[in-house]
Amino acid sequence: MTDGLPAVSFNDVSCRIGSRKILEHLNFQTGRGIIHGILGLNGAGKTTLLSLVLGLRRSYEGFVSVLGETLPGRNAMRIRRRIGAVLQETALYEELTAYENLLFSASLYGINNPKSRISEVLEILGLDNRSGDIVKTLSGGMRRRITIARALLHRPELLVIDEPTLGVDADARHAIWAHLRYLRKEGITVLAATNYIDEAQAICDTVSVIKSGSLIITENPGKLIGRAGCCVDLECSPGISGHIASEIQKSFNGGINRTEITSSGLSVFIKEGTKPEKLAMDIMKNYTVSGFRIRPPDISEIFSMLEDRV
Amino acid sequence: MKQIAIAVIGGFRAESVQMRRSKLLLFLATVQSVIFIFLVSIFGLTGSRAPIAIVDEDRGFYSAIFTDSLNNAHHSFSLKFMEKEKALDAVKHGDLVSVIKIPAGFSSGIEAGRNVFIDVMVDNIDVDMTEDIQRAVPSAIVNFARKAGLPGIRVKVNETDMIGHDTGFIPYLVVSALALAAFVVSGILSAAALSHEFESGTIKLLEIAPVNPLAPISGRIAASALYSLAVLLISLSVVIFFYGIIPLHPLELAAAVVMCVIIFSCAGALLGAFLKRTLPAASLVFGLALPLYIDSGAMEPERFDGNAIWAIAHLSPLYYAVGILEHAFHGFQVTPEPVFINFIALFIWAAVLLIFTAGVLKARMASC
Repeated sequence: MTDGLPAVSFNDVSCRIGSRKILEHLNFQTGRGIIHGILGLNGAGKTTLLSLVLGLRRSYEGFVSVLGETLPGRNAMRIRRRIGAVLQETALYEELTAYENLLFSASLYGINNPKSRISEVLEILGLDNRSGDIVKTLSGGMRRRITIARALLHRPELLVIDEPTLGVDADARHAIWAHLRYLRKEGITVLAATNYIDEAQAICDTVSVIKSGSLIITENPGKLIGRAGCCVDLECSPGISGHIASEIQKSFNGGINRTEITSSGLSVFIKEGTKPEKLAMDIMKNYTVSGFRIRPPDISEIFSMLEDRV
Repeated sequence: MKQIAIAVIGGFRAESVQMRRSKLLLFLATVQSVIFIFLVSIFGLTGSRAPIAIVDEDRGFYSAIFTDSLNNAHHSFSLKFMEKEKALDAVKHGDLVSVIKIPAGFSSGIEAGRNVFIDVMVDNIDVDMTEDIQRAVPSAIVNFARKAGLPGIRVKVNETDMIGHDTGFIPYLVVSALALAAFVVSGILSAAALSHEFESGTIKLLEIAPVNPLAPISGRIAASALYSLAVLLISLSVVIFFYGIIPLHPLELAAAVVMCVIIFSCAGALLGAFLKRTLPAASLVFGLALPLYIDSGAMEPERFDGNAIWAIAHLSPLYYAVGILEHAFHGFQVTPEPVFINFIALFIWAAVLLIFTAGVLKARMASC
């Protein structure tokens, strides 16, 4: 299945919509058989990037190659057979059942013996008992799973998925993550755009962080979070939060990335190696703090960290 | 090729299932189609049943002949005998178009060879009605004179009919209404099928598939056209069984109805692709329907309405469709062009719309 070439390769790619620059000199590669995340805030250019991979947008500068073939090209139809796509909008026919939606999709890909293949993918996605349900009666999570099932019908080598868990509840989120991990195990490369750092950490082997259409970094999500350090949110009065901030910089010499005064107190971002529990206990001993919470940094905090580094 | 056929069938099947589940839409389309037939019947009725009061203060031999002449003088009157006061009251309240008063002494005056005056009061709110009365009363007087054997009438009409049978206005209208129903029903169903792809975002699904998107879309439009045809068959049944209008050329009729459905389904698809939204597309189909219908020879042969309007009518497929339908039902040649030319024109319309729809669809998909 693999030919040693990257699944997706962007070489100095820029793209404009009207006068607005959406992607700017983008370079990155995705290995085969992994889940590669495109991490960015809303409007960062993630969906545009995926639309280039899917051949939906043909006007851009630079070179995009997908599964070893350069886009756009004469072989567009051949490449499409090798790619599965889960778009941001579920794009399902609401009045049809899950099964009928898949049957229609199977006709677009000319799948032989579609009934048995549909049964297979429905089983993989845990939808076999809901296949006769009309889509408009299903929950957001179910619909998302149908779109994944639909993208897998033709056994793609590359699955492009925009916001895998958009609008789904926590249970469905975990179920979808599990399905994506299963696909990786089956050797399918997944290119997933997300703006949730925890999602990237949960499923991705590598992530490319983009902001305003520019690539900031490509890294393992665990390392990225580690580099940002975890965060200790302290609940304290605004009057003492500034004082605590300056004091802990001294006492945890070099162990603090940065501090941020918030409406409820103080957020302290600590470096890898610094123990958050120890920091929290030390502060509580010396200052009036009503509570604390240890959490991973969110995406905007990671962006702040990366910008500080730049 | 096989792949394209599979995609066309897939689109057809999916749209058929969707249509089957959209029972309300189908019901309304059927009702709408039949309503158009009745609607044009009302056009026919409104012009032919204007209420006119006859106040006969004479009640003599000649006044009866005059009333009879008046009744036959113009097709658009509904004469009612009334008392003078009631009639004047009714015309003031808008219940009557006109009051025609035959004065006392009318019969004796005629017998004596005197000039007799008939009072006519007209509600001239609509000059069309006023002119009808201005035409009808003198013609009734001439007719009356002939019937009564009065001297001085030297000219008689020697009528030669072009067609061996007379056809009522309503039977003429309802036949052409089939073209209007085809335009609206096929147009809306296919516009909805296509614009729905844009509204639900499924157009992107077609765009990333390894088959030309026109293949599944053709299947969808074909399914909506088939449903339109079924709806039209119901309207056709109303024309044949309710109005009792039996087609003289059934095969021509079948071909015309199928052509109408194909062309208007393509037109609807074009609007759906262009506007990308069902509501504006459906509104536009309705908005276009009446002007195109009226300028198609639906009321009378379009050539009778003047060269400019007749020339414009050639730009509408409804003109050719009405031409064929009137011939198929009544054997009328309502267009100067023969029926086979009308068929060729419809084929050209179908081809142009297909090509145009494909082009617009491609452009609109690229702009998604």
